[in-house]
Amino acid sequence: METEMGFSRFALFLFTIALLSSPVLSDLVLSKVDRRIYLTSQIVRYTATLRVENEGSELVSEVLLAFPELQAKNLAYLTVSVNEGKGKQKVSTDDLPIEVVSPKNMPPAVSFYSVTLPKGLAPGDSLTLDVMAVFTHALQPFPEKITQADIQLVVFQDSAYYLSPYAVKVQSLSVKLPEARIESYTKLENTKVHGSEIKYGPHEDLPAFSYSPIGIHFESNQPFSNAQEVEREIEISHWGNVQITEHYKLIHGGAQSKGEFSRLDFQARPNVRGASAIRYLVATLPPRAHSVYYRDEIGNISTSHLWSDSKKTELLIEPRYPMFGGWRTAFTIGYGLPLQDFLFQSEGKRFLNITLSSPMVELVIDKLIVKVVLPEGSKDISVSTPFPVKQWQETKISHLDIDGRPVVVLEKTNVVPEHNKYFQVYYKFNKLSMLREPLMLISGFFFLFVACIVYTRADISISKSSASYLAKQQWEEVQAAIQQVESIINRCLATHDKLEASLRDLSRTGDVQACKAARKTADGLLKDLSKELKPLLAFLQSSPSASQILPKVEDLVAKEKELQERVMTKHSTVVDAYERKSAGKDIENRVALQQQKITALKQEVDDLMEYIDEI
Amino acid sequence: MFKVAVTLVVSAGLAVCCAMMAVLIALVASSPTKGWSGRSLSLLDPTYASKYIPIIASVSEHQPPTWPSYFMDINVLAFLVPAGIIACFSPLSDASSFVVLYIVTSVYFSGVMVRLMLVLAPAACILSGIALSQAFDVLARSIKFQLPGFPTNSEVDAGDSNPITVEAKNNAPKTDKTGEPSKDRPSRKNKKKGKEQAERPSVKGKPEKKRLLVLPMGASILALLLLVLLSAFYVVHSVWAAAEAYSAPSIVLTSYSHDGLHVFDDFREAYAWLSHNTDVDHKVASWWDYGYQTTAMANRTVIVDNNTWNNTHIATVGTAMSSPEKAAWEIFNSLDVKYVLVVFGGLVGYPSDDINKFLWMVRIGGGVFPHIKEPDYLRDGQYRIDSEATPTMLNCLMYKLSYYRFVETGGKGFDRVRQTEIGKKYFKLTHFEEVSIHNSPLDGSDIQAETSKKQDSGKVEEIKIKI
Repeated sequence: METEMGFSRFALFLFTIALLSSPVLSDLVLSKVDRRIYLTSQIVRYTATLRVENEGSELVSEVLLAFPELQAKNLAYLTVSVNEGKGKQKVSTDDLPIEVVSPKNMPPAVSFYSVTLPKGLAPGDSLTLDVMAVFTHALQPFPEKITQADIQLVVFQDSAYYLSPYAVKVQSLSVKLPEARIESYTKLENTKVHGSEIKYGPHEDLPAFSYSPIGIHFESNQPFSNAQEVEREIEISHWGNVQITEHYKLIHGGAQSKGEFSRLDFQARPNVRGASAIRYLVATLPPRAHSVYYRDEIGNISTSHLWSDSKKTELLIEPRYPMFGGWRTAFTIGYGLPLQDFLFQSEGKRFLNITLSSPMVELVIDKLIVKVVLPEGSKDISVSTPFPVKQWQETKISHLDIDGRPVVVLEKTNVVPEHNKYFQVYYKFNKLSMLREPLMLISGFFFLFVACIVYTRADISISKSSASYLAKQQWEEVQAAIQQVESIINRCLATHDKLEASLRDLSRTGDVQACKAARKTADGLLKDLSKELKPLLAFLQSSPSASQILPKVEDLVAKEKELQERVMTKHSTVVDAYERKSAGKDIENRVALQQQKITALKQEVDDLMEYIDEI
Repeated sequence: MFKVAVTLVVSAGLAVCCAMMAVLIALVASSPTKGWSGRSLSLLDPTYASKYIPIIASVSEHQPPTWPSYFMDINVLAFLVPAGIIACFSPLSDASSFVVLYIVTSVYFSGVMVRLMLVLAPAACILSGIALSQAFDVLARSIKFQLPGFPTNSEVDAGDSNPITVEAKNNAPKTDKTGEPSKDRPSRKNKKKGKEQAERPSVKGKPEKKRLLVLPMGASILALLLLVLLSAFYVVHSVWAAAEAYSAPSIVLTSYSHDGLHVFDDFREAYAWLSHNTDVDHKVASWWDYGYQTTAMANRTVIVDNNTWNNTHIATVGTAMSSPEKAAWEIFNSLDVKYVLVVFGGLVGYPSDDINKFLWMVRIGGGVFPHIKEPDYLRDGQYRIDSEATPTMLNCLMYKLSYYRFVETGGKGFDRVRQTEIGKKYFKLTHFEEVSIHNSPLDGSDIQAETSKKQDSGKVEEIKIKI
């Protein structure tokens, strides 16, 4: 602590030298300044109410705000608005435009921001400005290294007087601390402590660039969750989904952990052993978020919880291990959102209206990269952001893309939750382009099948007169003929079955006439079939390539013929016997021998058919 | 002339072949194990690995299986296989004798090593299939015979449907084979024929035997239902075994309790910590089981991993784990190790922790470095960590890293895996420092692992991973 204070004194010395030599800028005077600084979390929030009076004789349209350079480099967010109400009925208008300026003849180590007033401030007039500023990395842990059992102490430095290029008539400062425990603070006259609040002032009639450094050393066990880099990818699919993927590289930005970490101690007394550890992070996702996941490079992280209602979806994620000072981790969360909640149309253009920054609560992001992946075929892309960001365009090649999807990349450093505002990406997109990829797939398969069909149907042999080609063609003809022979034989066999069936009917009904008629039709059919067989057999006999199979085919035909005859004889025998009213046993004895032969022949025919099939 | 040339070529070729064979034989013979690897040799002689190569014996997959593991893996097949073997002997053909040989050898191999249960599985499936098919055959035939509308005489073929035979059955029993079923269409012919051919000899040859096989109607229906039920339950068991025993990742453990499913993700927690919070060049020493996991998930160089070809390296780590703290630190320092990872399950009863693997560290370490003697760690032939433990045991690095500050967890220092109170409760680490302990947020039902870190100052830090 001694060194800290020593440093502060040295800084004061430098400042005093610098400030004494500086000129008074203009005729503006701040008649009243109320500053409040909130140190309740790792993000320092600062509000100031300035009563500005024009005591000169000219119209003034700009007001300068000054911050010491040390603070300015941590300044993440700054807005100024005109407060038109009186007392507590504050009516803030829109934010005023601000730009960084560096006027001449100003003391060094001070940064200036010029606020353009909506209408000039006439001589003698006055107005009230509300200034809101957010600083990151403004709390320095001291001591810098702590063990698991230690509490985290931080130092905050600022000036007791409002640093301004204008003279200030009345001013006061109040600093709100997280807990009642204050290690030490700079005591000036008019310093009061109320619980966890320290008040400086009121101070009266101070010249321009008055500076009186103060330091506050206090306990802050808020987790210093600091994302060194967040990459956010918003991918729009016109099939109805906005897919968001966020990659985090997280570090605990508080006091470094030293010594050993005992999970047991941490679990037994988490508020004492590891009070400043990051145990979890909370993300507030939009309502109707779905398919939420939380993972890192080695797989799903099982410690997360999700609640959802109609207004929001709340995701609580725990890192794989509680994070102590200086520890790092990396993870990815992702979720899908319904398209109609975020994509709108106006004046022939579509626009995406979505929040820019990470949904994590109280997270400081050193570098935020937002990538908006638009569907393939989007044109006329323009972006509108609520504050200046670095932007450029890329293309992303994904599945089935031809020329890639246009990607709008936005980059912003030093991001705080206040930056989580809506931004818009305008683009033109023809709905028919949606069909591009499915059609591509369909046509791809279609052409594949067409190619297969063409390949199997087309005759693509080079030489039409070569011996092998001719042999192949002949063989195909022979095969076709054999197939025909087989089908005829099958029909013959079916006819035999019909005859057998008629015999069965006979034994049941005793209708001899019907049975005879069946034999007649079968006879005619079989004759027709044998006629059909003749040309086929003749062809096979003439074809040289059928020589191998011909004996078998002939054999088959011969056997079938014999079978035919046997079946016919059997049929007529049975019918005759019936007509003569023979006993069932007699008939059976008579046909038994024939039946045996028929079965054997049938077996042979089957075997032959099988053999031919195999060829 | 031609003959001479042929003889010359053939004899020269034979000579070359013989020479090559001789060289091969000499090479094989010159190696101490006759060209067999340790794992193959331990198949022939199940005691080989435990006698000569402890690293092979230390792998749990190489242990002989227990009877419950047979039942767990093949379940009802264990009872069907003997029936299948009997079925293979009636009648014994070339194919069925091959199946019998197959099952006999695979049963032997699976008896030597648990992992060879995989060899047994197909053989057991084939034989159980045969057994089931025979049983179904007999039962279905018995039912078929007793169905109304079929000839009561068992000598008539069951498949009879010839109209004349049907008509004739009232008159007199037929003795010939007209009962041959009429042919179906050629498409169904093949299947049918195979069955017929199988049936025919039995019908023709021994009608008496057939009559014996006919069981009572009710019994066969009941047996058929029971067999179907058994098969159905086997499917359920197989799905469960595939999910629990073969698909569950051993790196993420789960437990069911009255308030639902608990996930113990502590291994990955420790690996993620190493990956994000240690220097890329830092090396991690652990028992070789965690080698590949550390390489892949923590992205850190390890001293030994699951490739067990280099026995000496594993023995070095085993020696360090079984040495006193100072000697261990010297070994790790020479290996440029910054972190030592130790898995400890005594707090929650996770049995595959490093203390239970410790006997292999001692054996493998002692196999290469003779100053590690196994009897120093044994009391009455057992590894003990309670008050009966030997001083060498109580002072070795593994004991110290595992039980460092263990007594603070529950008062008495009761190890839930070993079911005993530890021998030495209060001690300090002189050369190592605990870096982190990771354990799940469950009182008394989690597992522990530890990692250690070495500092430049000559101290080594330790990370405990309590799961």
